[in-house]
Amino acid sequence: MEYGFDITYVFEFIPKLLDTLNITLFIVAGAIALGLFVGFLVALPRLYHIPVLQNISKIYVSFFRGTPILIQLFLFYYGLPEILKLVAIDLSKAPVLLFVILTFGLHTGAYVSENIRAAVLAVNRGQVEAAYAVGMTGYQAFTRIVLPQALAIAVPVFSNLVLAMVKDTSLAFTLGVMEMTGKAQTLGSLTQRYMETFVALAIIYLIICVTLERVLLIAERRLNRHNNRDQETRSWFKNRKRASLNQLTRELNLDKKEVPRYEA
Amino acid sequence: MKLDPVFIWTAFVQLLSAIPTTLAITVVSVFCGFIIGTITALSRLYRIPVLSQISTGYVTFIRGTPMLTHLLLIYFGLPMLVDGLSAQLGLGWNSAKIPMIAFAFISFSITAGAYMSEVVRSGLLAVDRGQIEAAWAVGMTTPQALRRIVFPQALAASLPNLSNSLIGMLHGSTLAFTVSVVDLNAKAQIVASTNWKFFEAYLAVALIFWGLTVLIERITGAIERRINLFRRGGVA
Amino acid sequence: MIELKGIRKSFGKNEVLRGIDLTVKKGEVVAILGPSGSGKTTLLRCINYLEKPGEGSIRIGGFSLDYKRAGKKDIHALRQHSAMVFQQYNLFAHKTALENVIEGLIVVKKMNKDEARKRGVELLEKVGLGAKLDAYPSQLSGGQQQRVGIARALALEPDVILFDEPTSALDPELVGEVLSVIRKIAKEGITMIIVTHEMGFASDVANHVVFMDGGVIVEEGTPSELFGNPKEERTKQFLKRITPELIYTI
Repeated sequence: MEYGFDITYVFEFIPKLLDTLNITLFIVAGAIALGLFVGFLVALPRLYHIPVLQNISKIYVSFFRGTPILIQLFLFYYGLPEILKLVAIDLSKAPVLLFVILTFGLHTGAYVSENIRAAVLAVNRGQVEAAYAVGMTGYQAFTRIVLPQALAIAVPVFSNLVLAMVKDTSLAFTLGVMEMTGKAQTLGSLTQRYMETFVALAIIYLIICVTLERVLLIAERRLNRHNNRDQETRSWFKNRKRASLNQLTRELNLDKKEVPRYEA
Repeated sequence: MKLDPVFIWTAFVQLLSAIPTTLAITVVSVFCGFIIGTITALSRLYRIPVLSQISTGYVTFIRGTPMLTHLLLIYFGLPMLVDGLSAQLGLGWNSAKIPMIAFAFISFSITAGAYMSEVVRSGLLAVDRGQIEAAWAVGMTTPQALRRIVFPQALAASLPNLSNSLIGMLHGSTLAFTVSVVDLNAKAQIVASTNWKFFEAYLAVALIFWGLTVLIERITGAIERRINLFRRGGVA
Repeated sequence: MIELKGIRKSFGKNEVLRGIDLTVKKGEVVAILGPSGSGKTTLLRCINYLEKPGEGSIRIGGFSLDYKRAGKKDIHALRQHSAMVFQQYNLFAHKTALENVIEGLIVVKKMNKDEARKRGVELLEKVGLGAKLDAYPSQLSGGQQQRVGIARALALEPDVILFDEPTSALDPELVGEVLSVIRKIAKEGITMIIVTHEMGFASDVANHVVFMDGGVIVEEGTPSELFGNPKEERTKQFLKRITPELIYTI
């Protein structure tokens, strides 16, 4: 077999792959939406120290962060119909896409819940006290003072989660979903121009990710206006460090930290 | 079809044989990734011309594309390169001689390198400038200061991120099945399809990964506590 | 007027307040002094329920509350009667100086925004920060932040303003600007309770000084009584340790 790399194929393949972009983005949107919802549900019991439920939350987070997303995908695809069969729900006709979004959503939910938790706890306790001192109720203190600040803290990590989700959608092909990677595989075997298809595929992912990152960075800057005087971080390279979720959770020592109670 | 709890155990036992492959992929990619990451991070921090631009491009590209595409690009691209080279130089090499697992090693190392680059970078940035100034003040040279003062502190600071990368690569190694390497995931597929018990097999493999992950977390947690003794008393 | 009766508070086994009775008249400026750990900050925080006393009652501006029986509504109502200036300023980090001052007016007092803004600008000018209306806390010095904190408390027009060691987190050179603002508003007849370590300031500004130690009020009276002629041995000891020359050189 004699064939070299031919760049013209790359340009030819890009529009073909873009045809399936909507499926990729649909998975991302669905998974993020579900993930935000699940994330809040999972974070609340631990923020408020609700017995039993907080342990379930812990196990949930540990499982979804402790197993590969690919394994989770197979597990839900094969396991869920069997479990639901026990309660007489038939999933054998359900579209594969449903399983993909469900798995990715539950997966992201675990990370989102940690993100929320870390961000809420990162808001200084004095902020809540000051809110009470000016006469706010617990609800007002949370929505007007804690939440906006927590949001600003959460955005950088959240944007990383979104980008990770975009990349993880490539795994959906393993269940035969025709998103971009699946399409690329078919296109490759059809034309025998594997290299060109995958280069085209990589270019598209790269553009999506870089664009998304820029957009989310703008959002981050807007939410963080109040911290524009770059304090502290006096590093020996003149650069700003960006906290990861992991750093955030560890520095805060979440498990030992006393949680602000939003009484009143 | 009913859930067969006994088979979960059977599958579990059969899967054990694939653990070394998975661990080999993980360790090799993290190790090579760390070397690549350190080189790229330093070249970016010290703004070495050309090399720093290449590094930035590499990190951006790898972080902006799925790990699966890296694997596919290497899997199809590397043989083209090898065969092309071999034909031109008349070396009599043949890409067919490359073992499958080598593709996984190479590709995942490249992936890990980009992520490690960020880990190393943020670790080095976490060290206060006062530390290197103090090292100079007691008469150390810059290399001495880096080796004796900055690196150990940077390592301590980046341990959580390193542990994360290790877990990330452990989980990422499940992609190796696409190039026919029999890692845990591929083994689970084999066990599942030969017995027609998919749910049980994947449950077993999920448990193994979960256990390995928790193990890594525990170990790094313990190391971290030892390393961070000097920090005791608190960051507040 | 404020009346505290039988306030007790423990943290675990450690009893920090052992039955405090205190009456503050309208327009009085009360300085609470005492060694660290004497319970003075805790007492202050009980007045607006940032700490929950185990026992006791409070009457403030015609509103009374028994701490044991306080429900959510009571706590909320109690807090409407006071405002607090914190040691660590605690300005809302995501809001500008002006927004910090008017936040309570808009959210709690339901004042309309234009009116609140007008009031906020006035107050910030009064504390000397007319030029910093749109600065975020991170862009202000400690002294400036604390002056915004004072303006925020003033805006609520509470029955009493509680000052929790308002200058102890400040660099020495910034203490003066904050004290002079407090001095200025003290002259306007606003009721204030100040926990402080600044003896000279206390004797100068307060007209009622309270000395606490070990969770009880050891002695109280006018500054001249307490500083000039302390009756209790513990008070004498404490005052002797704290640079005495300051008291007489104001």
